[in-house]
Amino acid sequence: MASISARRLAKELREIQGEGCPVGISLLKADDFATWWFSIEVMGESLYQNEAYTLQFRFDSQYPISSPAVQFVVTDGKQAPIHPHVYSNGHICASILGNEWSPVLSVVAVCVTLQSMLASCKKKERPTDNDRYVRTAPENPKKVRCHLPKSVSSANSFPDTIPL
Amino acid sequence: MKVVVKHWHAVAQWRWDIGTAEQEDADNDNEGDVCGICRVPYEGCCPSCKVPGDDCPLIWGECTHVFHMHCLLKWIGTAASKQQCPMDRRTWVTAERKVGTTTAAS
Repeated sequence: MASISARRLAKELREIQGEGCPVGISLLKADDFATWWFSIEVMGESLYQNEAYTLQFRFDSQYPISSPAVQFVVTDGKQAPIHPHVYSNGHICASILGNEWSPVLSVVAVCVTLQSMLASCKKKERPTDNDRYVRTAPENPKKVRCHLPKSVSSANSFPDTIPL
Repeated sequence: MKVVVKHWHAVAQWRWDIGTAEQEDADNDNEGDVCGICRVPYEGCCPSCKVPGDDCPLIWGECTHVFHMHCLLKWIGTAASKQQCPMDRRTWVTAERKVGTTTAAS
């Protein structure tokens, strides 16, 4: 029997293949329901003009109950965008990938959020604790602990979230 | 004239009464009526079940959001959910079914 994740991902894949991705986002590879790759580019004016990055999604069998492990690819000559919430090893500090994940989000929704995270960037710089983080970083980007100032929190995909 | 009915096929359709029966037919595009967690129509069943219907019911929140009960409980059962509705992140409170008009026979 197909796992929960396989059914849901098959559906998302059909939608992507049928309707395409939002502008600037394209599916590179999705041969199974374990790892997908996307190309992501910021359209219009931004600090990342004409720069395409590769995003990797890894899913466990409990997706979408459990969040996907999402990071920028930094192998094969690829690099992570220079951004205050993106470590040089490709790990991303974004609340929706961590403690604000919701199972109603989708792969494309995550891509769009990360695209707008780049689009709204004011200054290209690495997180202040980049070197220390990268030295001790866990393999799984889901374990990223963000020590970044709250004021620059990147994810605003839930504008109607009620502040606690 | 006398008519003799030799065979007949009964065809029936059922839907969950999700409390929006009036407008439901109007905006009946296939999109709106899926569980936000598994993306399967409400009338289908959650990925853990094989048979739709009473054994795989829906659950309503006081926030008015509706999910397959099994999908929602799976989410609420995780620490990551913080007991919040996946749609609006308000604390999940299961609502009494507002629509009491439907009977088991429908």
